[in-house]
Amino acid sequence: MMLARVADSLYWMGRYLERAEHLSRLSLVMLNATLDNTDAAVHTGWIALTALGDTEAAQTKNAYEAARGLVLDRENPDSVIAAVTLARENARQVRDQITTESWERLNLLYLRLISPNAPYAFDDGSAIFLQEVISDLHLFKGASDSTMSHGEGWRFLSLGIHLERAQLIARLLEVCFGQERTEAITDHIALMGLLRMACALEPYLRAYTAEIEPRYILEFLLFDEEFPRSIRFCTGRIQDNLKSLSNQAGFAGQGPERLAGRLNARLQFADESALLDGGEASALLTTVVNECIDIHKAVYEAFVAYPLELGLPA
Amino acid sequence: MIKAQEPETQALLPISQAPYMPGLAYDEMVAANGEVRPHYRPLQARMSTLTSGELGDRQRMLERSFLLQGITFTVYGAESSTEQIIPTDLFPRIIPASEWAKIEAGLAQRLKALNLFLADIYGDQQILMDGIVPRDLVLGAPSYRREMQHLHVPHGAYANVCGSDLIRGQDGEFAVLEDNLRVPSGVSYMLANRDASKRTFPGTYRAAGVRPVERYPDLLLATLKSMGNHWNSDPQVVVMTPGVYNSAYYEHAYLARLMGVPLVEGRDLVVHDNIVHMRTTTGLRRVDVIYRRVDDDFIDPLAFRRDTSLGVAGLFNAYRAGTVVICNAPGTGVADDKAVYAYVPEIIRYYLGEDAILPNIETYLCREPTQLSHTLANLDKFVVKAVGASGGYGMLVGPHASQKERDTFAVALKADPSNYIAQPTIQLSTAPCLIDGAIEARHVDLRPFILSGEKIVVTPGALTRVALKRGSLVVNSSQGGGSKDTWVLDGEPEESIRP
Repeated sequence: MMLARVADSLYWMGRYLERAEHLSRLSLVMLNATLDNTDAAVHTGWIALTALGDTEAAQTKNAYEAARGLVLDRENPDSVIAAVTLARENARQVRDQITTESWERLNLLYLRLISPNAPYAFDDGSAIFLQEVISDLHLFKGASDSTMSHGEGWRFLSLGIHLERAQLIARLLEVCFGQERTEAITDHIALMGLLRMACALEPYLRAYTAEIEPRYILEFLLFDEEFPRSIRFCTGRIQDNLKSLSNQAGFAGQGPERLAGRLNARLQFADESALLDGGEASALLTTVVNECIDIHKAVYEAFVAYPLELGLPA
Repeated sequence: MIKAQEPETQALLPISQAPYMPGLAYDEMVAANGEVRPHYRPLQARMSTLTSGELGDRQRMLERSFLLQGITFTVYGAESSTEQIIPTDLFPRIIPASEWAKIEAGLAQRLKALNLFLADIYGDQQILMDGIVPRDLVLGAPSYRREMQHLHVPHGAYANVCGSDLIRGQDGEFAVLEDNLRVPSGVSYMLANRDASKRTFPGTYRAAGVRPVERYPDLLLATLKSMGNHWNSDPQVVVMTPGVYNSAYYEHAYLARLMGVPLVEGRDLVVHDNIVHMRTTTGLRRVDVIYRRVDDDFIDPLAFRRDTSLGVAGLFNAYRAGTVVICNAPGTGVADDKAVYAYVPEIIRYYLGEDAILPNIETYLCREPTQLSHTLANLDKFVVKAVGASGGYGMLVGPHASQKERDTFAVALKADPSNYIAQPTIQLSTAPCLIDGAIEARHVDLRPFILSGEKIVVTPGALTRVALKRGSLVVNSSQGGGSKDTWVLDGEPEESIRP
């Protein structure tokens, strides 16, 4: 049992932190790629900025300016600094629900980002700066996993992380392989950049060797059971968390859990070769994005904003 | 101690080489004859082995740990908001066992009498009929809540958490400056300071035999549970906060976390059929005891102030119906009113038949014409306070004010004399503090915390507040004050540990 407002804050905290990590990683990959003066570099920058919804910057700004804005611009609600600030604001509201170990990790990251030195540190060595941000976020997740009880609060946090992650990866794949694209990306360097954006390069290489093909990337990031940034893995976690939460609340198998189960089954029992070879993956990606939105709404209605008369004790 | 090669600078000399010069006030560490008081000797010996560079490092470590833990308040600026810590000094203030025994007995006596006083004025008002306290003074006070009349409060414990402000004058005796029976804060600083001083001076701490304060959260929980146990053997307790933007939010979350109870805001609670519920992920859950850190005015827009969304509509009605307990009870402020304060020694004698163990500060009520004229004649010697104000606002420190400030204040005083009280300016005692790398004397007060439910418990420790500006007598954090840890010793210091 926990306060509805608190559950909501933990859920959003997870979402914002996952968003901050994704933004940092895309910026990092983009900056690294654009050190080389090649077409592939331009391509990688375009993928990153389009996946983040910043199509204007993709055309007008140089990669460095764009990344600086994505990380440090407080005015931009979709920047790393804004996401971390919101996550911390949520954490402060539920300070009694998260452990000191997790809180201090997050607070440290926040203090570093808002410090007046942050822009200088970024200019001085953007790669190091971004790597530190990402590892701080990993430390937060590690500290939460190893110090918080894996009960309701942790489940809402985990739900937020994985729902956000599924959407972000789906969006990234849509940009590269979806209907919006007229021609397929075939450049080896650009495809490696894509794998790096999903933090998937090393695990991919172990599974498929250095043969980097769009079909294998899609297969890996959509259907792999074990890689934590594949959509299949995320939907599994979403379902798992919602199953436990719905059980406690007494509506097992209904509402958000049913939606999550359906989405997970779509990926679990998909006809992989038909989808990948027949070029129908983009429809599946759109379904993933839309159903994640439906799950989000259902979670809110079931756990947070339920009508009073349904909530009264028997 | 082995040290790396040291440059020959003043900054690295052991601090003992620099003179510590307390002023005229009673100094906690050094007696008037220049000798270090026995209970301070181990700490003073340790302090004198550290260079100011080392002390500076410890001070920075301490501040960093406060910042990381989020023990901060937010300063909102034009461009962005920054977070600041409440200034904290690393030297503990030490109180020997014998002095504490008197403080403890005095505080327990005082709170017992004040709770009896509250039960009486919200009951049959015997004390008013007997003319001990003027009727209009009590019933006319803005903090008197007519709504509380004849309402049953379990154990007669109106003020469950009390934070009294004690000062030590030039004679070395502790006296009560103010009682705080509404929503006293600062206890989280007491606990955080203790945590820090254990890390800063571990050896000295262990050797000194300091009484622990770490049981405060579970004693608070036991006190709160005792308020609801007549209808539920395991009552659901919650802490109620105005929200994340309140300056004491850190403390609210801290106490909730350490007690293991939900931290709720008004919007989390809903009253249905005179029962208070909280909205949880698994439906509505009944709440039995609310430790509210929200002022009376804001707890229920139907009963008190209407223009607020912090509270819960119908909460007070549920309280009257006896299905929930609000701690502290609404209306306790009437007993810490600055004018009622003057009568506390009488109140203690009336209910307990005892003399007050801890004295009051001599107080002039400006509502009495003779006392008003006495105050006006002595404005340059007195501290004059507005009855309703707190936090160091609305107050004149006569000796430190200019003639113009005194003249302006006199006009306000004459216009509304019953709103003011006057007290002689007390030279608060001083204690050593680290100021810009040197050890200097600064004025301090003492805020212990007393719990009252089924029984009264005085926590063996306190928040020592420090006026960080040289010569300043105002310790409030809103006026540039800081804090330090307070060590209450278990036994008497041994004379043999002379350095």
